[in-house]
Amino acid sequence: MVINVNVYLFTILILCMFVNLGISLYGILSRPSLIKKIIALTIFSDTANTFAIIIGYRSWPNPYHPLRPPVLTVIEPSRGDIEYFTLVAVDPLPQALVLTAIVIGLAIILFLVFLTLQMYRLCGTTDVRKIAKLRRW
Amino acid sequence: MIKVYGMSSPIEPTQSVGILVPLLGIAAFTIPLFSLKIRRKEFYDYYTLLFSLIAFTLTLYNTWLVWSRGKPILYAYGGWIPPLGISYEVDMFSAILGLLSALVMLLITIYSIWYTRGMDGYEWYYTLLLGLETGLLGCIYTGDVFNLFVMIEVLAISAYGLVAFYRSRIQAVEAAIKYAFIGAAATTLYFLAVVFIYASFGSLNIADIAIKSREVYRAFTNIFSDGVFGNIFVASATSIALALWAFTFKAAVFPNHFWLPDAHPEAPTPVSAALSGLVVNIGAYATIRFLYTLFGVDSILTTFGYRDFVMWVLLILGIVSGVIGALLMIIQDDVKRLLAYSTISHMGLIFMGIAIGFSNIPEYIVNIGLTATLYHIINHSIGKALLFLAVGILIWASGTRSLSRMAGIGKLYPLVTVSIVVGFLQLMGFPICGGFFSKLLLYEAYVAAGMIIPALMVVVISAISVVAYIKVIYTIWIRPPIVAYERKSGIALALAIVLFMALMCIMLGLAAPIVIQWLTDSVVSSLSKEGVENYINAFLEFYREALKHLS
Repeated sequence: MVINVNVYLFTILILCMFVNLGISLYGILSRPSLIKKIIALTIFSDTANTFAIIIGYRSWPNPYHPLRPPVLTVIEPSRGDIEYFTLVAVDPLPQALVLTAIVIGLAIILFLVFLTLQMYRLCGTTDVRKIAKLRRW
Repeated sequence: MIKVYGMSSPIEPTQSVGILVPLLGIAAFTIPLFSLKIRRKEFYDYYTLLFSLIAFTLTLYNTWLVWSRGKPILYAYGGWIPPLGISYEVDMFSAILGLLSALVMLLITIYSIWYTRGMDGYEWYYTLLLGLETGLLGCIYTGDVFNLFVMIEVLAISAYGLVAFYRSRIQAVEAAIKYAFIGAAATTLYFLAVVFIYASFGSLNIADIAIKSREVYRAFTNIFSDGVFGNIFVASATSIALALWAFTFKAAVFPNHFWLPDAHPEAPTPVSAALSGLVVNIGAYATIRFLYTLFGVDSILTTFGYRDFVMWVLLILGIVSGVIGALLMIIQDDVKRLLAYSTISHMGLIFMGIAIGFSNIPEYIVNIGLTATLYHIINHSIGKALLFLAVGILIWASGTRSLSRMAGIGKLYPLVTVSIVVGFLQLMGFPICGGFFSKLLLYEAYVAAGMIIPALMVVVISAISVVAYIKVIYTIWIRPPIVAYERKSGIALALAIVLFMALMCIMLGLAAPIVIQWLTDSVVSSLSKEGVENYINAFLEFYREALKHLS
């Protein structure tokens, strides 16, 4: 029986990411501390970003047939060189998407940290259960 | 051929589409710079008013442009050919929603001049308000799924900031935290959906994905986006599931509705009007774009009946949130909270309208359902914004949001009370106002489709919500007052806005035959099979012209 190492590792990686997404979603929804919620949200968006980065890979390195790195080494590349280059080079667009998503995530995390600080100033706690009790008063 | 140079000359003079959103964004974020030097409140009032007016003029011009050409107009940013760069594509459906958003935002801005007098931090308020308008128009005009994500975030961050505007109130900060946490998780899920779409279709452009999701057009795929990663159907199904979670959150439909009754009432009153009237529409708009333009009835999503399954889910969620919103509305005492529950109920009705696109229902009936949806979105936006603004005057006069303490105050402000009554008649669907005709159209669409239970549910939801509306009208107008209020003056500007909106509600009802005819034409020309073809053809034409330009 031939085990395809690439497929095996790829599957484990993807499964781990989905488990990670699940755990961090649980953290956002049911941890009582606002700080821990923020940490869970960071993990959640980072997992999504890593997922986007993985999508960009065109060709997975294979231990039996190692790839040449996607670098054009001649000044005037032939058609075959360019075809090979586009086959193995990483797709840059998901990285651009992730860059945008990270910047937006930074803004939201900062805003949430500010709100948590404001909440701590107003209530003296960052525990959502205690805040809910305080609000009822 | 891989390298693409920026085009030197525009293919079509459609700058009015392209300039709108960046202009508003720049206008919003220069306000903090002005605040270093200028203290006068009038400057910020007129500055925001000027840009709202520009936005309204440009959206009106765009609507006229799309209408007179009879096909969608397209603007490519930075001169990049559409599937490569970001492009904005406006068809009749998005043009109408953009016009509606800009009009209501203009009225809200004028009302804000009245509302922010004597208030601290007006420069931040106006920054966020213009940011909100940028996000709204960006979401509606965009022709790119990733740009939709960015614009949803622009919209969402402005909305979180405005909900937490009264930052010394525990309730406001708590509502903003709840909204922002779940909102950030929802938009991240949408980002995942975008990643799935890109992985399987190799493109982010809506028209390009619409081509590739339909087998018929396979011959037209272009050289730039040809990669298919994994199974295309599984990826589309996953991305639809993730994206709809985010959209139903934005639209506050049943399982994701819990944040709205906290967040909307805590915002300043004009912002409540914008959030309840306009921001929830984005969820409905994006759902329609995904289920009709991207993955229509002839697309890959119909495999194994998956699209019908999605429609069933949306239909059931729509009915449940309509009923829950209407029932919970009855027991509210906080008047702004009552209006927020009414928003949930109406979004339920709007999602019922979206969910009519089953594959076994003839297309003309689906078009009636979508016309009803669009008409109801318009009616609800104007009616709900009117109610929030009018109730805001009474809240200012009485100093309380509690309905029982506001008893009888309407007698002091007869014109405000009249517009509140008109607003409620609009929402409950009384025959002279527009709300009646859109609900009737939705009912007729479901009867014509042979689905009696959803048709009856439209009536039931309206009937339940009438109880709460009558309660408010009775309390404000007829019940003897508990607290003795005195009439305050200085509401002329706010009153003018409110009366104008009441007049619009009645006009929407009186002109119903004309409006329905116009909206039907618009829906047919943008969301039916033929409409999606128009959308795709506008893109392909642009693409071919651009290639000619290059060579």
